[in-house]
Amino acid sequence: MSETFEPVLTQNVGRPDALSLQGYRKTGGYEGLAKALKMEPAAVVEEVKKSGLRGRGGAGFPAGMKWSFIGKAKPRYLVCNADESEPGTFKDRLLMEVDPHQLLEGCAICCWAVEANTCYIYIRGEYTKAAAILERAIREANEAGVLGDNAMGSGFKLDMYVHRGAGAYICGEETGMLESLEGKRGQPRVKPPFPAVVGAFDKPTVVNNVETLCNVPHILTRGADWFKSIGTDERNTGPKLYAISGHVERPGTYEFPIGVPFRELLDKAGGMYRHGTLKAFIPGGASAPILPASQIDLKMDFDSVAKAGSMLGSAAVIVMDDTTCLVRSVARLAKFFNHESCGQCTPCREGTNWMELLLHRLEDGQGSEGDGKLLLSICGHIGGQSLCPLGDAAIGPVKSLVEGFWPEVEQHIRDKRCPFPHRRYFGNGAH
Amino acid sequence: MPTVTIDDRTVEVAAGTNLIDAGLLVGVQIPHYCYHPRLTVVGQCRMCLVEIWDNGRKMPKPQAACSSAVTKEGWVVRTDTPEVHEAQRGMMEFFLINHPLDCPICDQAGECALQDYAFKHGVAFSRFRFEDKRTYPGRERIPLGSNVLLNMNRCIQCTRCVRFTHEVAKTGELGFFNRGARVEIGTFPGKPLENHLSTCVVDICPVGALTSTRFRFAERVFYLDKKPSLCTGCEVGCNITVEHRRGKIKRYKPRFNPEVNDYWMCDYGRTTFERYAQMPRLQVPRNGGVTSGTIGWKEALDQAARKLRSRSAEGAVAFLGSPFLTVEEAWLFAKLADAAGSPHRSVPVDRGPTWTIPNLKGGITGIEAAPNRRGAELAGLTPGTPAGESASADVLDHDALLAGDGAAQCSVLVVCDSDFGRAAWSPETVERLRRARFLVVFGWADSPLAKVADLAFPVPTHTEKEGTFVNVEHRLQRFAAAYPPPGQDRPLVDVLVDLLSRFDASWAQLPSPKTAAVFDKLAAEIPAFAGITWETIPATGTSLHMPEAKARLDTISAERVPERD
Repeated sequence: MSETFEPVLTQNVGRPDALSLQGYRKTGGYEGLAKALKMEPAAVVEEVKKSGLRGRGGAGFPAGMKWSFIGKAKPRYLVCNADESEPGTFKDRLLMEVDPHQLLEGCAICCWAVEANTCYIYIRGEYTKAAAILERAIREANEAGVLGDNAMGSGFKLDMYVHRGAGAYICGEETGMLESLEGKRGQPRVKPPFPAVVGAFDKPTVVNNVETLCNVPHILTRGADWFKSIGTDERNTGPKLYAISGHVERPGTYEFPIGVPFRELLDKAGGMYRHGTLKAFIPGGASAPILPASQIDLKMDFDSVAKAGSMLGSAAVIVMDDTTCLVRSVARLAKFFNHESCGQCTPCREGTNWMELLLHRLEDGQGSEGDGKLLLSICGHIGGQSLCPLGDAAIGPVKSLVEGFWPEVEQHIRDKRCPFPHRRYFGNGAH
Repeated sequence: MPTVTIDDRTVEVAAGTNLIDAGLLVGVQIPHYCYHPRLTVVGQCRMCLVEIWDNGRKMPKPQAACSSAVTKEGWVVRTDTPEVHEAQRGMMEFFLINHPLDCPICDQAGECALQDYAFKHGVAFSRFRFEDKRTYPGRERIPLGSNVLLNMNRCIQCTRCVRFTHEVAKTGELGFFNRGARVEIGTFPGKPLENHLSTCVVDICPVGALTSTRFRFAERVFYLDKKPSLCTGCEVGCNITVEHRRGKIKRYKPRFNPEVNDYWMCDYGRTTFERYAQMPRLQVPRNGGVTSGTIGWKEALDQAARKLRSRSAEGAVAFLGSPFLTVEEAWLFAKLADAAGSPHRSVPVDRGPTWTIPNLKGGITGIEAAPNRRGAELAGLTPGTPAGESASADVLDHDALLAGDGAAQCSVLVVCDSDFGRAAWSPETVERLRRARFLVVFGWADSPLAKVADLAFPVPTHTEKEGTFVNVEHRLQRFAAAYPPPGQDRPLVDVLVDLLSRFDASWAQLPSPKTAAVFDKLAAEIPAFAGITWETIPATGTSLHMPEAKARLDTISAERVPERD
């Protein structure tokens, strides 16, 4: 199906003039906003609901549904989650660096739909280039009267701000991001209340991912039915960016209709690095359980990946060939989650630390038979019991290692060393 | 109001009540560390996980009881399912893997939530066998301020202390630094934990991470005997627990009273017991000063009665009261003054440290170092007699006695408390009061004043007696004796009843226990106490019937600004 597919989100890739307002308007830019501003806010929400657009940040929650939950209080806020910090994920960066106005238009439509007059784009601190581009785009749009006090002459007031994070993965969690936005220590809040009711500055807030919002202008201009025609089924619609990295010839961000088979994705990325053999892949960023090579024909949409025992997440695909030590890979992921845990809730703070120590011990050949059971038990005590989803994210790769790749772990235990060539080692990572 | 069923017990609760509080209403204790009723709910210790069925539909994950508020009908909560037990076991394991387990040298051992829950909800072995525990080298004994010491190794990161400084003390000295398994509690550079409530963080710390510099290593807490009492530091009347071992007080801890001090108490109040150990005690009745011999109780009382009777011709009989007397004692002194026909009675009061103790109504500020000035004055220790005899200018009140030459006009001067205030310890005052022809001193301290007294009666400290105090808001509060007094000390109430029976034989008929009988007698006589009996004083105290005082109180609380001096 993807042979006939025209890129939607990445249509302006390779067109440097799209960075400017003029250039963006050449390809029909801001027509979606103009159309939305003539509609009732509720009708816009309805249209997005009809399109079946699901959040592209990882959880896959229907975007239109989220907008309709917004609380009654005013003022309301839109916070665009551009804190893209999961290992392997780099799709939003492309969208922001190449086509900033597409994001601004999406934000503006969303603000109109939920009657918010302020939008914050919370951007990962390391994305200095993207932040500068967005700031320039906002200035340009304000000066041209597309945004600002009187957006496109409609009387709708809309202020946009770029807020740069300070380098914490946890600030990509929506409530952690709101805390950080308010100038506090970036750590998640207890839910409920959800941000839609009590969000930024205790006001109703919609939090959406960059890619989600970038889809919105296209839904408005081309209609929900067009959007629904792309994808596998009713629940998985629209175009999707896949960030593919690891042992492939041409890592990068590729746009496909959602539900593209993994094999096709791999081909597009140039196939395996130096014709290696596929051993395993992570379908949705560091927090997704690892899938074995046998899943090569998996359709990459929310439901199919979930059925295979993993999750699509942010659709950051990490490909690993047969020279990869999975124990070492998972230990590295565990180190990441331990390092990025905010430390407030017990299971995540203590559990991720313990898992990291244990996995390093296994990788060093010091493991014992009972460690698999122990790891699963720790995962059980973290899963579903942490304050925010980071705990659940941290156990994904670990669980899949023990459950799906146990022979490899066993080999480490039996040989009392790692059977794979010793590449650059990253320390025992106690802290 | 919605109802909620917790472990088969149904209770009606106010909408918004969280499950921990709702559980306590029906006697179900849900274990928790980070939750505290006066602090924001953060739901981060995850110890209070329970299972909830919302109208028959089970919630997919275990929910934190602290952050689950009952807002509607139909919740069924279980705290005893295998899933909940498994979650609790897992959480206890997480807490303990990086905990030093140094209970034998930890001050908290015996009152440690980690110990309690480990017994109740934990497992007896560790699966954390090969890895190194996380430690914070160099952070084992960090003084956060002059009253609080931090051992980061023991911390379970519940952030109660951090929230306390931000939300109750409103000084915000503490912060939560770093992240992941390396998070730590600390102060900001150059801003130590110095506020008047700082030791409260030690009380709310569920483990031994925060310890009090004063109580540190003073006693194992499981050897302490605990009795409810009141603080005598100022007029707020904070409810406290006196914790002692064999009559040696080791610490005061705040006792919950939502009407007065809530869960809190000031650092100054916690130090007030130290004088009981530092000052010499008077332990036997004594006549003729410290150089002379001791005397039996009977002879001493006879002599005092004789002196009080032989008054008028030779000069005045004056009573110097004390704000540290209980209401009952003050009333008996007033009766004694009546019997001696003396209008010369007053209560000297020192200025106190002026701290505000926060509570739900905003707080109470104590200005005077006088736990019971209002009670003593209500009981009759004010210039004049019930007969209306003179409240005129020539009354020998405390100003005349302590600053002027009033004592020289006295044939008998009765000092009701050898430790009535700072002045009691100054040589000038002792010299002034000694000008009285006959000086009678009651008191627990063998102060310079008691040493020069013609008659000195040993009586208990407030931790050794029972009685009532009336605080700044005219709240009557009862307290109990924590331990018996030393030596030949007798309860002052008994002594005074004995003395009064030498004037009026009916006093000898007073039933035991004396304090209760005396209180009931005075309550029948003084309008402000009408209807209150010793037995019916509630645990949280009761407001006296004082409309005009209440009106004044409202204006005071409106302009209540803490003064620091």
